[in-house]
Amino acid sequence: MHPYDPIAHTLSINRRSFLTKSAYGLGGAAFAMLAAKGFAATDGPASANFSKGVLKAPHFPVKAKRVIYLCMAGGPSHLETFDWKPALKKLDGQAFPESFTKGQQLAQLQGAVLKARGSFIDYKKYGKAGIEISDLFPHIGTQADDLCVIRSMQTEQINHDTAHAFMNTGSIIKGRPSMGSWLLYGLGSETENLPGYIVLTSAGKTGLQPISSRQWSSGALPSKYQGILFQSKGDAVHYIGNPQGVCQSTQRQVVDEIRRLNGTLAEETVDPEIATRIAQYELAFKMQTSVPDLLDFKNESPKTLENYGIKEVGDGSFASNCLMARRLAERGVRMIQLYHRAWDHHGGIEDGMRSAAKDVDKATAALIADLKQRGMLEDTLLLWGGEFGRTPMGQGSGRDHHILGFSVFLAGGGVKAGTVYGNTDELGYRSVENVVNVHDLHATMLALMGIEHTRLTVKLQGLDIRLTGIAGKQVKGIMA
Amino acid sequence: MSPRLRPLCLIAVSALGLPALFAADSAADTVRFNRDIRPIMSDTCFHCHGFDAKSRKGDLRLDLREFALKAGKSGAIAIVPGKPEESEIIKRLFTKDEDDLMPAKESHKTLTPEQKELFRRWVKQGAVYEAHWAYTPLAPVTVPPMPAGGRNPIDAFIGAKLAEKKITPSAEAPKEKLLRRLSLDLTGLPPTPEELAAFLADQSPNAYEKQVDRLLASPHYGERMAVWWLDIARFADTVGFHGDQNQRIFPYRDYVINAFNANKPFDAFTREQLAGDLLPNATEEQKVASGYNRLNMMTREGGAQPKEYLAKYGAERVRSVSAAWLGSTFGCAECHDHKFDPIKAADFYTLQAFFADVKQWGVYADYSYTPEPELRGVNNDSPFPPEIKTTSPYLKKQDARARQEITAFAQAKSDPAKVTAWIAALQAFTQKNPDGWLKPAGNFELHKAAMAATPTKKNAKAAPNPTAGTTVETSQQPLVAGQPVVLKKALAKGEDLVVALKPGALRVAAVRLSLPEAKAGTRSSLTVGFAVRNAAGKERKLVAGFADAATKDLKHAGGAEILGLGNTWALTVPATGTAAAVWLLDTPVDLAEGDTLLVAIDGAGTQPIQVSVTPFGGYDPLTVGAPPLTPADQAVAYLCSVQPARPDFEQVKVMAAKLREYRRGVAWSLVTEARAPITVRILPRGNFLDTTGPVVLPATPSFLPGYRQSTEQQRLTRLDLANWLTSKENPITARTFTNRLWQIFHGSGLSAVLDDLGSQGEPPSHPELLDWLSGEFRDQHWDVKHLVRLMVTSRTYRQSSSLRPELKDLDPANRLLASQNPRRLDAEFVRDNALAIAGLLNAADIGGPSVKPYQPDGYYEPLQFPNRNYLASKDNEQWRRGLYMHWQRMFLHPMLVNFDAPARDECVALRSASNTPQQALTLLNDPTFVEAARVLATRLLAKPMTEDRLNAAFLLAVGRQVKASERTALEKLIADQKAYYTANPAEATKLLKVGLTPPPTDDPATLAAWTQACRVLLNSHEVITRY
Repeated sequence: MHPYDPIAHTLSINRRSFLTKSAYGLGGAAFAMLAAKGFAATDGPASANFSKGVLKAPHFPVKAKRVIYLCMAGGPSHLETFDWKPALKKLDGQAFPESFTKGQQLAQLQGAVLKARGSFIDYKKYGKAGIEISDLFPHIGTQADDLCVIRSMQTEQINHDTAHAFMNTGSIIKGRPSMGSWLLYGLGSETENLPGYIVLTSAGKTGLQPISSRQWSSGALPSKYQGILFQSKGDAVHYIGNPQGVCQSTQRQVVDEIRRLNGTLAEETVDPEIATRIAQYELAFKMQTSVPDLLDFKNESPKTLENYGIKEVGDGSFASNCLMARRLAERGVRMIQLYHRAWDHHGGIEDGMRSAAKDVDKATAALIADLKQRGMLEDTLLLWGGEFGRTPMGQGSGRDHHILGFSVFLAGGGVKAGTVYGNTDELGYRSVENVVNVHDLHATMLALMGIEHTRLTVKLQGLDIRLTGIAGKQVKGIMA
Repeated sequence: MSPRLRPLCLIAVSALGLPALFAADSAADTVRFNRDIRPIMSDTCFHCHGFDAKSRKGDLRLDLREFALKAGKSGAIAIVPGKPEESEIIKRLFTKDEDDLMPAKESHKTLTPEQKELFRRWVKQGAVYEAHWAYTPLAPVTVPPMPAGGRNPIDAFIGAKLAEKKITPSAEAPKEKLLRRLSLDLTGLPPTPEELAAFLADQSPNAYEKQVDRLLASPHYGERMAVWWLDIARFADTVGFHGDQNQRIFPYRDYVINAFNANKPFDAFTREQLAGDLLPNATEEQKVASGYNRLNMMTREGGAQPKEYLAKYGAERVRSVSAAWLGSTFGCAECHDHKFDPIKAADFYTLQAFFADVKQWGVYADYSYTPEPELRGVNNDSPFPPEIKTTSPYLKKQDARARQEITAFAQAKSDPAKVTAWIAALQAFTQKNPDGWLKPAGNFELHKAAMAATPTKKNAKAAPNPTAGTTVETSQQPLVAGQPVVLKKALAKGEDLVVALKPGALRVAAVRLSLPEAKAGTRSSLTVGFAVRNAAGKERKLVAGFADAATKDLKHAGGAEILGLGNTWALTVPATGTAAAVWLLDTPVDLAEGDTLLVAIDGAGTQPIQVSVTPFGGYDPLTVGAPPLTPADQAVAYLCSVQPARPDFEQVKVMAAKLREYRRGVAWSLVTEARAPITVRILPRGNFLDTTGPVVLPATPSFLPGYRQSTEQQRLTRLDLANWLTSKENPITARTFTNRLWQIFHGSGLSAVLDDLGSQGEPPSHPELLDWLSGEFRDQHWDVKHLVRLMVTSRTYRQSSSLRPELKDLDPANRLLASQNPRRLDAEFVRDNALAIAGLLNAADIGGPSVKPYQPDGYYEPLQFPNRNYLASKDNEQWRRGLYMHWQRMFLHPMLVNFDAPARDECVALRSASNTPQQALTLLNDPTFVEAARVLATRLLAKPMTEDRLNAAFLLAVGRQVKASERTALEKLIADQKAYYTANPAEATKLLKVGLTPPPTDDPATLAAWTQACRVLLNSHEVITRY
């Protein structure tokens, strides 16, 4: 995997006079500059406020500046969240019609007798549009006027690992950057004090599935675009804390001396990486300085903690992570991704979903309300959903993985709020109306960020790869 | 993938070909198709006018001259040689009409006026096509005249181009820089001050070449080269999908290290990895090498479809093999013919068909919904068959060392006179029981077992308690000395057999169960518990220590075999020899005359069970019992049986536990095992559910020379593939390898896009040099060290690495090589270098299992099936080289990630060399580097006051003297920090505690201050850069 095309790299240098002012050419930042050239060539004058990444001007009006992706890892059942199917309920316990399932891919139900399972929970209508939301999510229901529920999602991968890869990178081939890395690459970060792409994880009581750091990998893009996993214990960021016995001021002295040593080297060696290195140490030190403030929740009111349902700040719960997400958003982090591992209910779905919903319902609603109250919802794009849905057929006391129809919701910047988009068939098996596949979702999210998805690309093994693979179309119906 | 195809949108800048300096830059020059035209066409034309018939527009093909010269749909002729004004493509390039303009607007591509002009001149000069450079046969190349100061033909090629541009090469780098560069490049380690001094003192004309020879002969050369190849082979310790379980394959890494050290010819290296198992009389080493084919990611996820994953594995293998040996990107051809290269979907699947015989499972488990009877009993802790049992020289060596250490310890801790007396006292016993095992008389009876305790560990059964339960009436029978226990019928559920033995007055150190007359193939599972009853009838349970059996069912945890037995001995009785298991008693029991040893056995059948006891203990159940003969063995037995000092015995237990981890030198390794080939079809759009595509047989890629295909009678094998890859006819393997080797020594390949030599890659900057080197490599029996030696002894390599500001416009990426290129060290070498500078690196050991350096807590928390608990290595494995680090694909060690090491999910030919804040944080705060700084400081402070310590530090770290300004600054830092740590002694203590190495206790403030100075040094850009 090579980060950049050295030829193009070379040429871009030739054309960029500001670079020739430096001793030789470029340091690590050159990559961004080079690709930026590609865009600048067709995109007209740069807009400085828009981005610090390779895109110098937006392709579309910018509706959202950051993404918060609440990933319900394991694959929540759409049938007990946002997709009410009375017909399925009627069929509960009876044979599932073969006309639906014939020739389709199954996971753990391979070879089994297929029986319908109706929703175990009732639904209510919420908001002005009367959006049907299951009784597992009364708090999310209160935010219905800000939600755009998509009931017609489809994905291509039926197992967790590959389905996450598809949802994050648009591909199951390794080395493809994740959505957050693309955003960082295209738009840069609005903060230098924190990584621009941060991931937090939490876990429920049942339905846990593993999650790979590959899901926030920068793939073929340089590692500076990778998602950084905040740890629930120890240092929030790896190696962000000073070594034991080194306080901030002694660390500063060390960093100063490193700079001096590197400066001496730069005086006699022509190597543009030295200047970059010096700059990276300054950035690193800034991060070290700002993380303690980030983790200091003292100025959050008890009311706020109560709204989110936080028992103890920093306890690694989804609720605590939601509050952290808001704090990261406030500080200019471009992409914030929360994984809640709790939704793989092959069995015990009723208890499992009740418990998982309890983990996330209140905090999700609070996050939306909190962002709104602070005027941040309008330029924050929030996505809530899993890597796939679950079968309308039962599997013991649960449901199997399902890719032909499932639900997610969006909220915030540029989203058509208070609406429902798309539909599955009467049994919730297959998306039949306004089908949205993962590439379409990506294309739409990028568009809301001001990016035409076919124009954010990078060279990998001779190909210009992009988040949307070779597909993807904007879903106008969910855009305000 | 979605069936909707849209034009690939390409970044305009990538449409630009080689640097201007390599192009035809004056009107008089001949425009060359490969150099000047093909890169532009590939990027801007071929998508719609290339190989792929499905996306072709206007019925126009530009990739083949005969088609380009024909009239298209519109009647216009694209290219009229010699007549640009009549050529449609020239009109379309220059037109002002937006609708007619090419490249089409929706491609977001534009050509520069210079590029358009190139096209016009090319057509004017006759529109001569050339075959794609990478696929043309390797023809003999004439070496240009040797320039003044040139050392070998490399310099002639490089010099010719420099001379053309009137550039003089840079001077040779100073000797100290040269040796550091060479050492880091060839071994990944810095030169020691002694090596540097020797080189500086050597005034002979071939002083440098001597260093090359020395370093090429170093075992660290193989370690260094392995890092690069392991990326290509996608070597990792875990399977990568879903549960990311451990796989056992470190012997393959040893194979790679050894292959480079032994300078195994690359053709043999290729054959053994792709087809080692198919070689006649395949050796163990060749089978281990065939593990290459098993390094694809694997899954054990419940609900995964075996067929889908077999398709994924098959496709990955094509991508990896084509990237590794052909420098080509076959990936796109999984779904459709390649758009830019002549790679057809058929090529993808015929290449895949070579591997159709690799025995593997789509899902490595026997789930009810996807049954795999051969995998019955497999769980998340199980390994990933097929594997072979092999010997690890590293483990063997450690095993011998650890045994020696235990013996030495026992001898040091025991009084020889007492040992002799003990042996003498047991003389009568030994005479009666020459094998050391007594088969006492007694009786046996059946117990209705009391409620079994809940097992505490997975796979562990609670030990039956001989002192509990009630005797089943009239079940008691006498046991004659020397005879086994024989039950008339197998134990019923809830029953235990309790054997009551009367060995007489004897200290019993171990108990053995054997099945003397059991029928081969019968299954048995015995769970045991021990107790003692004195003459007064008082009973006491005994604690069993470690137990083991030579024959037993293998159980696994985290993919590794669980050592020993626990309470339960399960086995299939072997055909030969007596099956036996031995339990060491944690505290040997002193039996008085009349005391009874009680052995409760659960699970006994009707086969005879012999229970024996021995006074001769030890730490290894498989060897205890035999009366020790040598003083050394006697000392061990004495210390473990008599236990003159319990703490000493505890120490032996710790040492023995570590010893067992060396597994008597045995290692398992994933291998390729051939089976009847599965059917391979062309999958329309890569869809595994679609079985309408034609079945294909193995064949080499149709667009490359030396085409070979299977016939109905003879199916080509992986061996045929390997032989073709390294055949005289195939030019691309040699080009791929040579180009990548060049990158290692110059920072960029001659063709910079190492993973794609196709038309979307880059034509080489020096095509004749690449061909000459490739030909040399192939014709000199694929001699890798020969190629390396050629490269590193060239003047081109030996130049100064200070870039040339005056060339920044002409040659900004330094592709003409008027100087060397500085390069940041690869992740593993960043680590190795710091540890070596500190004197902390454990470099003596080569090969062996992966190790676990310090890693942030909780990093593996999102992993499951099974849950993972990372335990950092506690002994000097902590400081082994980076290439031995545990490679967890789903959560690669953050230090490796931060320095751009790939997770190795698939073949990676080129790592990026980024420069990020995360790297700064790692070097500043990762305990590995903090400890290295402290140990370096300790090393410096150990030098006498009279020595120049700061200078010593710089010699170690960067192989040069300290500069005056550096000295002033660091002396001030040390003074300031010393004042701080003197005032804050607790802080000093905390800093010095980072890491496993025990810190010296005297003067913590000084050591802390120097530690800070060493942190500065180890963080400097110069240390992590090879200049």
